[in-house]
Amino acid sequence: MILRVRFHGRGGQGAKTASRILGNAAFNDGYNAQDFPIYGAERRGAPVTAFTRFSESEITERGFIFSPDVVAVMDDSLTADPTASPFAGLRKGGLAIVNTAKPAAEVNGGRTDIAVLTLDLTRRALDTLGKAVLSSGIAAAVARASGITSEAFMRGLVEELKEVGLSDDAISKNVALATAIYDVVSPIKLHTEELPARADLVPLAVVVSGEGTEDVVNTGNSASRHTGNWRITKPVIDYLKCTDCMICYAYCPESAMSAGPDGRIAIDYDNCKGCMICQTECPLRAIGSQMEGLQ
Amino acid sequence: MSTATKFKTLKDIPKEEYIAPGNTMCAGCGGILAVRIFHKALGPNVAWVNAAGCMTISVSYPLSPLKSNWLYTAFASAPAGAQGIRDALDVLMAKGKLQKSEDLKVVVVTGDGAAYDIGFQSTAGAIQRDLDFYYLCYDNEAYGNTGFQMSSSTPYASSSKTTPVTAAYPYGNTGRKKDLFEAWRAMKAPYVATLSNSHGVDFLRKVEKGEGIRGPKLYIDFAACPTGWGFDPKYSIEVEKLAVQTGVWPLKESVDGVVRHTYVPRALTPVREYLRTQERYGHLFKPVEKPEAIATIQRSVNDYWAKVAAEESTQATPAPA
Repeated sequence: MILRVRFHGRGGQGAKTASRILGNAAFNDGYNAQDFPIYGAERRGAPVTAFTRFSESEITERGFIFSPDVVAVMDDSLTADPTASPFAGLRKGGLAIVNTAKPAAEVNGGRTDIAVLTLDLTRRALDTLGKAVLSSGIAAAVARASGITSEAFMRGLVEELKEVGLSDDAISKNVALATAIYDVVSPIKLHTEELPARADLVPLAVVVSGEGTEDVVNTGNSASRHTGNWRITKPVIDYLKCTDCMICYAYCPESAMSAGPDGRIAIDYDNCKGCMICQTECPLRAIGSQMEGLQ
Repeated sequence: MSTATKFKTLKDIPKEEYIAPGNTMCAGCGGILAVRIFHKALGPNVAWVNAAGCMTISVSYPLSPLKSNWLYTAFASAPAGAQGIRDALDVLMAKGKLQKSEDLKVVVVTGDGAAYDIGFQSTAGAIQRDLDFYYLCYDNEAYGNTGFQMSSSTPYASSSKTTPVTAAYPYGNTGRKKDLFEAWRAMKAPYVATLSNSHGVDFLRKVEKGEGIRGPKLYIDFAACPTGWGFDPKYSIEVEKLAVQTGVWPLKESVDGVVRHTYVPRALTPVREYLRTQERYGHLFKPVEKPEAIATIQRSVNDYWAKVAAEESTQATPAPA
């Protein structure tokens, strides 16, 4: 039997590394394995996709996985992002592992014919690693759910992290994180449906009229992309301290700062990516930061 | 600058936005910030000509952050594309089919890959033909869009995908950064300038100054790259500031071949302070510090500023090598 896993993350979260860790782990466990990312316009924060296939017998499939058995969604904002569409093609009876603090019913993409496992990996990664890099955690969850042995997984994890060039200290933190997650997940027996012939054809996303069209006169329409959901930390202006000196405005790479109707500087949270340059550059320390998803 | 300028402080930055929010560059990108500030200084009537690089992806169908015009060319030929647009505009105006008020400023925008390497020849051609255009190079010192491979702008001792740190090459890149400012100046471009986003007033004034000059006007912007260089995006401006204060990135301009430094650090901050902010230089500090490589970089910076002091009566106190 072949298992097809599709990872959906945002650039910088480690989707590609996760697919490689899982590929290593499966190989170490005696399976045939493939792992590869989509080489497109990946950006730190932009939706990124990577794949792992593994099987007891020879794998004759090639290319992107359009009908996965398992999807690993590393950022719950992706569940509602049409450019990511993480549930597209997920087989009936398949499994979605979602990194979220929300209940499963809110992040299942409206699918009731799949199993959903939720884990708050971001919180765990921040606690253990000090940053929201999720590759080890999500790979551990998928490996455990699909029944890969602990020994094969840990060896695959360390091999990959060494190749990425992590220090011994960072590797041991990642191993601790992965072990904790491996231990809370249980193996899940999947009964995904077999697909009819040519099920690999994917429907194209509909272009919403007025948001994006082939009309070259429709300029500056990227604001409808809402890159605000790339954000991990959110800048917050303290208007008692702010003197509207415009330094944050000048240095904002996103054009996400503007003078509001009252003349005060305001942040466009729909598109602010949370780079936090404004906080660093504010001479009056009038900009604070908040973790997204926390109050 | 001696002549009158619109830009006295950063508060004078034009408030019109020509780059809409929602671009697809990384958070904290110095390249898109350079494009944003450059566009603000030039105003609305701009035709951008782009060759392959990070900025290419900013316009990805069906969404575009640009409120102006955009022509995408092959990697090597953005200045040739600029020639085509400039000629078309001139011909239309000569025939009375386009009002002078509808004229556009033609701006090539590329990364260092196109400016230093792949498009160098077509830029040389455009300068030689005295093409009336602007060239904005956002220099992030490697092929950032494809995963940070070495370009001829990559500095000595920077690691990159193609100059990794190995036992045989413990310092990463063994080559030196090409001096594109001098190369462009040697080709007799009437205006050549370096920019840093961290020095916004200097940046805006140089674009303003270029507007009064006919012919090729070439700008190299030091564009911090959090993803490729390996630092937290919130420090983008700080890293650029450090590059200027350590003297690694001199702010200067050349008008008809006469070079003037527009900002001279009173005393150079040691380069170590700049290098240690970035993972691409991480091997110079971990697992053990490599003082000889750091001293090599410090010496080349000190030598540069000693030469500046000799040529322009300005003095930057060297930092210990």
